[in-house]
Amino acid sequence: MRSPFAYIPRPRPLQLASPGAAVAYLGSLIVVAFLYSNPIVLLAVGLAVVIAGRLAGAHAAVRAALWMGLTLAALIVVVNALVVSRGETVLARLGEWPLFGQVDVTLEAILAGFVLGLRAAVVMVGFAVYSACVDPDRVLRALRPIAGRSALTATLVSRLVPVAAADAARLRDAARLRGPGAAPVGRAPLARRLLAGSLDRAVDVAATLELRGYSLEPHRPAAGATFSGSETSGKRCTRWVPGRRHQVIGRRRSRYDRRFYAVGLAVLVVAIVGKALGADAFSEYPATEIGTGAATLAVAALVALSGFAPWRRSARTHSALTKRRIASNSLPAGGGI
Amino acid sequence: MADLATPSRATGPALHLGDVTYSYPTATTPALCDVSLNLSSGEFALLAGRSASGKSTLLCAACGLVPHFHGGEIVGRIEVAGIDAIAAGPGELAAVVGYVAQDPETQVVSTTVSAEIELPLEMRGDPPASRARAIEEVALALAIPHLLDRAVDTLSGGELQRVALAAALVTRPRLVLLDEPTSQLDPVAGDELIWLLRRLNEEWGVTVLLAEHRLERCLAAADRVIAMSAGAIAFDGAPGSFLTWAQGADSALETPAAKLFSLVGIEPLPVGVRAARETLASSGHRVEASRTPSSLNFFGREESAGRGRIAEKVQDVRGGSGSPSTAAIAVRDLWVEMRRGDDERRDVLRGIDLAVEKGKRVALMGRNGAGKSTLLRTLAGLTNAVRGKVELASGIALLTQNPGDYLVRERVGDELPGEPGTAALEIVGMAHALEADPRDLSGGERQRLALAIALAGRMDGDALPGLVALDEPTRGMDRARKEDLVGLISDLAERGAGLLVATHDVEFAAAFAERVVLLGDGVIIADGPAREVLSGGWYFATEVARVLDLPGVITPEQGAAALRQKPRTEH
Repeated sequence: MRSPFAYIPRPRPLQLASPGAAVAYLGSLIVVAFLYSNPIVLLAVGLAVVIAGRLAGAHAAVRAALWMGLTLAALIVVVNALVVSRGETVLARLGEWPLFGQVDVTLEAILAGFVLGLRAAVVMVGFAVYSACVDPDRVLRALRPIAGRSALTATLVSRLVPVAAADAARLRDAARLRGPGAAPVGRAPLARRLLAGSLDRAVDVAATLELRGYSLEPHRPAAGATFSGSETSGKRCTRWVPGRRHQVIGRRRSRYDRRFYAVGLAVLVVAIVGKALGADAFSEYPATEIGTGAATLAVAALVALSGFAPWRRSARTHSALTKRRIASNSLPAGGGI
Repeated sequence: MADLATPSRATGPALHLGDVTYSYPTATTPALCDVSLNLSSGEFALLAGRSASGKSTLLCAACGLVPHFHGGEIVGRIEVAGIDAIAAGPGELAAVVGYVAQDPETQVVSTTVSAEIELPLEMRGDPPASRARAIEEVALALAIPHLLDRAVDTLSGGELQRVALAAALVTRPRLVLLDEPTSQLDPVAGDELIWLLRRLNEEWGVTVLLAEHRLERCLAAADRVIAMSAGAIAFDGAPGSFLTWAQGADSALETPAAKLFSLVGIEPLPVGVRAARETLASSGHRVEASRTPSSLNFFGREESAGRGRIAEKVQDVRGGSGSPSTAAIAVRDLWVEMRRGDDERRDVLRGIDLAVEKGKRVALMGRNGAGKSTLLRTLAGLTNAVRGKVELASGIALLTQNPGDYLVRERVGDELPGEPGTAALEIVGMAHALEADPRDLSGGERQRLALAIALAGRMDGDALPGLVALDEPTRGMDRARKEDLVGLISDLAERGAGLLVATHDVEFAAAFAERVVLLGDGVIIADGPAREVLSGGWYFATEVARVLDLPGVITPEQGAAALRQKPRTEH
């Protein structure tokens, strides 16, 4: 069974875009998540990545990442509430705990934990959408000019998630196959084993990449032979058409690239300008204050709207529009019947 | 350096090692000890030796991974097609060397098969037209054109291995290094691969260095055998001489046909089936002409006129399997559907009827993708059936292809605490390793430990009433370790467990199995006693069976007994 985070080629704008454009778009949202602490903006970023993922068809990845991210967020809220006793609104006094000392659960610590957890969840969903929608083959090729001498770096960037996802599936199966008398597999040993195993296997994959000549100086393709390939990545191309420009997988452009670059840039500009104008108004202690000014709401609205960047006009809408255009073009001069 | 776009076909040694000694980082003993070797262009050499004898390290040194990727200390000189491998590293050697490692899962770096095969050509800067042609040609040569559009994470182990091989061969390298390339291939694909390598060797002049445990499969194709022991070269010579050497030096390296000849006292020892039959004929031992295997229970995939007779045979073969008290597992009309690619679904198992009795040892065989692993996973509840019924008498312990997946803690005792854990460790002969770190155990010990984890808590005193299923347990094993595993399987069966072992290894199946079930495209096409199923065929037959072609004779001991009984013909 395939991992929900595995890349699946689909004819959707985010998958068709070049890795640079997709990374610029998703990366800008993740940058905003790190730049802002205001929960309204963070919720807007979360909404944007969820919408982007669903429009790109990565429903399973979004669902799985949301589940994992929200579980982590809940854990962070609990830990922060127990560890941090700052804040004016004390909800419960739990007395002296070993290691923790005096434990007072405050509303401010819970909200601060919520913000930290929300940020972690948003980043996880963002990476899940990246993993499910950006072709690792194209990432690998795009990284070659930058990381050509380090196959390991390239492998970690492009293959660690798929390798870890495959390992996780196998480890889950093995955990289910343990006899009733064997020690149950706890989350911590499993996570440790998964991380160590995935890194080991990423090193092996990096060795294979070296053997494929990844560290050789990139060659320019010959001018004569060219091909016309479909936009969908990873497709087999055996029809060769002389005279057209050859584009290898890593350099293939998409008509959606400009859109993603533009939206990514706009998000960053809005976020930076908004930050300068005080849109990130938020303080945790001693009393929680969440900015809800016009600047905050405007940044949140624009960031949330950016989630629609991977939207593609459906064939039905497109054909209806085309018919309407044809109908309007075929009207007699003067427009009346 | 040679022009990367046109691989060098220069004369001179394809591979030269001069007094190479190498130690892995933190290792106390060297993995290669003073190894000197010259491999001429166009040679087909077989690298033999037990596990951990240094074969894989030698191959890694020849492709530059040692020391560039693994680190460690190296002394001596390594040249590949005139390039200093120690100075150059694997990237630059990629133009002249193709390497296929043991584990195919770590040898794919792309998401689709076509992208994977195209990658080395693209890295080398080949023009698109030649890339497309090379991909088509290598895909045709390895019989994988149907896989080109598939995602690599939907492929079986055998299919992955062929894709990795295609990626290694697509650049037409001068030297091809292969580390047990047939370990995950069925006998048909394994034989085809060896002869494909031979053809590449003869027609393109490609030098081949092939490390393999199943020597009977490739000895006849080799020009030369290099045997390694404890990191040093113990033998280097012609295949015939190697067999004579192995007879005295290490019987674990003997092929079944050579062992048969040794037992009967026939000389010279044969390097393949053809040579064995010729020698037998010339020495007066009459060998039957090849015949179609008519005595087997081969069940057609479609309903046929003979179906009623076949059904009776099925019942005969399965004996008392209908009795619920003796069956460890009973499967009726099992259908499993799986997704292939993104949307397409297909039936992987189609109406399987199978019963395994307690205390019986059954081999599950069939070509890659026939449904063996899926059947085992379905029995263990990892995969859901769309139709049919699985009745388990007392649970199932399944050991998958990667025993390491079962080991998540740093102490054996922590994996298997308490009395059930100790009992399971005793059953697999690992009670002494309670305090050991699983990572420090040998491959065979890790496999036993993983099996103990699967068995823990499923025992009834010393008895083991359920089904024990093993999926391809002999991957990367030498013959000595296989013999240990045969002993373990027999022991488990004696304790009352039904054993169902999916394997491609015909010789291993002959050694342990009483019964063989042959799967083909999701249906059982043959089911019968091992001595019948593994004799009289072309591919799913042992080397001794192919040499003698006598019904029911599959092991060297049985063959020797048969030859001693048969009257010799006069010349």
